[in-house]
Amino acid sequence: MNCTNANPVTIVMIEDDEGHARLIERNIRRAGVTNDIVAIASGNEAFEYLLGEDKTGAVSAKRALLILLDLNLPDMSGVDILQKIKTNPHLKRSPVVVLTTTDDEREIQRCYDLGANVYITKPVNYESFANAIRQLGLFVAVMQVPVAE
Amino acid sequence: MPARALGLNYAQSTLLLVVAGAVMLFLLVVSSFKLSSETSARADEIAQERLVRIAARQTQIGLLNAESGQRGYLVTGEEPYLEPYYTGVDEVRRGLSDLEQRIVNAEDRARMDSIKSVIEAKLREMDTTVGFVKSGMRDEATETVRSDRGLTYMTELRTQLEAITGRADTAIGQGLTDLATSARRLSITTTLGSMLLIGFTAVAFYIVANNTGQLLAARQSLEDLTNELEERVKDRTLALTQANDEIQRFAYIVSHDLRAPLVNIMGFTSELESASGQLVTYFRSDQSLEAERKAAAEIATADIPESIKFIRSSSTKMDGLIGAILKLSREGRREFKRDRVQLTEVVAASVASLQHQIEEHGVDVDIALDLPSVVSDRLALEQIVGNIVDNAVKYLMPGRPGRIAIAAEESGGRVKLSITDNGRGIDDHDQARIFELFRRAGKLDRPGDGIGLAHVRSLVRMIGGDVTVRSQAGEGTTFFIDLPKKMAIHAGKEQAA
Repeated sequence: MNCTNANPVTIVMIEDDEGHARLIERNIRRAGVTNDIVAIASGNEAFEYLLGEDKTGAVSAKRALLILLDLNLPDMSGVDILQKIKTNPHLKRSPVVVLTTTDDEREIQRCYDLGANVYITKPVNYESFANAIRQLGLFVAVMQVPVAE
Repeated sequence: MPARALGLNYAQSTLLLVVAGAVMLFLLVVSSFKLSSETSARADEIAQERLVRIAARQTQIGLLNAESGQRGYLVTGEEPYLEPYYTGVDEVRRGLSDLEQRIVNAEDRARMDSIKSVIEAKLREMDTTVGFVKSGMRDEATETVRSDRGLTYMTELRTQLEAITGRADTAIGQGLTDLATSARRLSITTTLGSMLLIGFTAVAFYIVANNTGQLLAARQSLEDLTNELEERVKDRTLALTQANDEIQRFAYIVSHDLRAPLVNIMGFTSELESASGQLVTYFRSDQSLEAERKAAAEIATADIPESIKFIRSSSTKMDGLIGAILKLSREGRREFKRDRVQLTEVVAASVASLQHQIEEHGVDVDIALDLPSVVSDRLALEQIVGNIVDNAVKYLMPGRPGRIAIAAEESGGRVKLSITDNGRGIDDHDQARIFELFRRAGKLDRPGDGIGLAHVRSLVRMIGGDVTVRSQAGEGTTFFIDLPKKMAIHAGKEQAA
C-alpha cells in the first residue's frame, strides 16, 4: 500500500481498551492494510507521541498520520485530545476518526464541530463492528493523507 | 392597645372611637350653644334693668331740678329761675316716657300708675304755684307750698322711684352673678370638651399609628418570607438540576463503561467462532499443506488463547464495574446515623488505617489540634477522609517528600475541612472530571479504578455537604469538605439518587 508515497501513512490508534485495540487491529489487517499501527492506551501517552517532549507538535512535522481516537479515556476526555490535534499547526490536517461506544447526538456534533473527519459508533453487534473497521481499512487503502508541515 | 383587651379588632375599635368622638362633639356643640344663649339672655336682662334704672333716676333728678327751679322762682320771682324749672319738667316727662317704655317687671308696672298720677299732681301743683307768681299772686303761691302737698308728692315719688331703682340694682347684681356663673360653665364645658376631643384624637392617632406600624412590620416579614422562600426554591432547583445532570452523566458513563467490555466479549467470541471454523476446515481436508498446518497451529496456539484471555478479562472487568455500581448504590441506600463526632478522632482513625503506606512513602501528616466536632455520620466521614488521604499518599510528586496538612474552619453553622498535599496536582481541565465515576486524571502509573473520588462526592452530598478541589499541577492539591455542623435528620435519603 502507498508504495508510491515516500512517507507511508502511520495509523495512530488511541484506545485504552486493549481488547478493542486488538479487534481493531485484526480487522484492519484483514482488510489488507499493512501500514504501521501505533497503539496508544492513554491520553498522556498520546500527547507524548503526537506533540513530542516540547509539546509543540514539531515532532509530527513530515509525518503522515491517520488518527483513530476513542473518546472515553481513563485519564482525560478524547474531546480534549481532538481539540489539541485540530488546533496544532502541525497536526490539524491529519484526518481523525472518532471511535466510541456512545451515539449521543450532542457528542457527535461536538466532535464534527471540533474538526473530526469521521465519527464511528462501536456497535455491540460484533459483525457490524468488524465490517465498519474493514471498510475503514479499505478507505485507508485509497485515501491520501497530507504530510504535516 | 386597650381595645384589644375588650376583644375588639382594629376596624371595630376604630369605628367605636369615631362614633364616640362624634357623640362627644355633638354634646359639646349643643351644650355650648345652650350655655352661650343663656349667657347672652342674661346680658340682655342686665342691660334692660340698667335702662330702667337710668330712666327712674332721670325722672327723679328731673323732679328735683324742676322743684328747685320752682322754689327759686317763688322766692325771687325772677324769670331766670324758670329756666331750670322748665328743663326739669322736660326731663321728668322724658324720663317718665322712657320708664314707661322700658319697664318689664310686674311690680314696677303696678307702681307705674300711682307714679304717673302723683307726678301729674306734683307737676300741676308746681305749675299752679308758678302761675300764681306770674300773675302776682305771691301769697296764694306761698299758701299752696305751705299746704305741704308738694312735699307729700315729692316724698311719695322718691319712695316709689327709689323702690324701682333698688329693685333694678338688686336685679343687676343678681344678673351679673348669674352671668359670671354661666360664663364659667361655658368655659369649663368648652375646656373639658376640647380636652376630651384631643384625647380621642390622640387615642385614634395612636391606634392608627400602631396599626400602620403593625401592617408595615407584617408586610416586611411577609416580604422576608417570600424572599427566603424564593431563595430556597432557587437553591433547591439548582440542587435538583445538578442532581439530574449527575444522574444523566452517571447513566452515560455506566452505559459506556459497561458496553466497552461487552464489545470485547462479543468480538472475541466471534473471533473464536471464525477460528474454530478455520480449524474445522483444516481437519476435514485430507491432504493438508505445510502452510495450512502452520496456520492451524498459529490459530490454536496464539489466536484462540488470546481471544479467551480477552473474554475472561472483559468478563472480570464487567463484574468489577457492576460490583462498583452496586456498592455506590447500596451506599446511597444506607441509613446514616447522627452522632456527635470529633473530627480529630475521625481524621486520626483514617490516617491510622493508611499508616502502612504513609510510612512506606515517608509522608509527613500534620493534623491541626483544634478540629471541631460535628453531628454527622462517623463511618461516612472516615471513608471520605480516608479516600482523599489515600489519593494524597498515592500521587506524590516524584523527588519531593510528601506532606499532608489537615485543618478546619468553622463559620455560620458549617465546618470546612481542608486536606492539603504537596503532590503532583491536577490539571485545570481535569478538576471537574476527577469526581466522575471510573474517571482518572494525570499519569496512570498507579493502580486504581476511578471510583474513590466519585464515592467521596456521593458520600459528602448525602451527609449534606459538598466537596471542592483547588489544585496547581506540579504544586499540590487541596480538597475542601464543606459540612453542616449538624447533619439534617433526613440527610441521605433526599440525595440517594
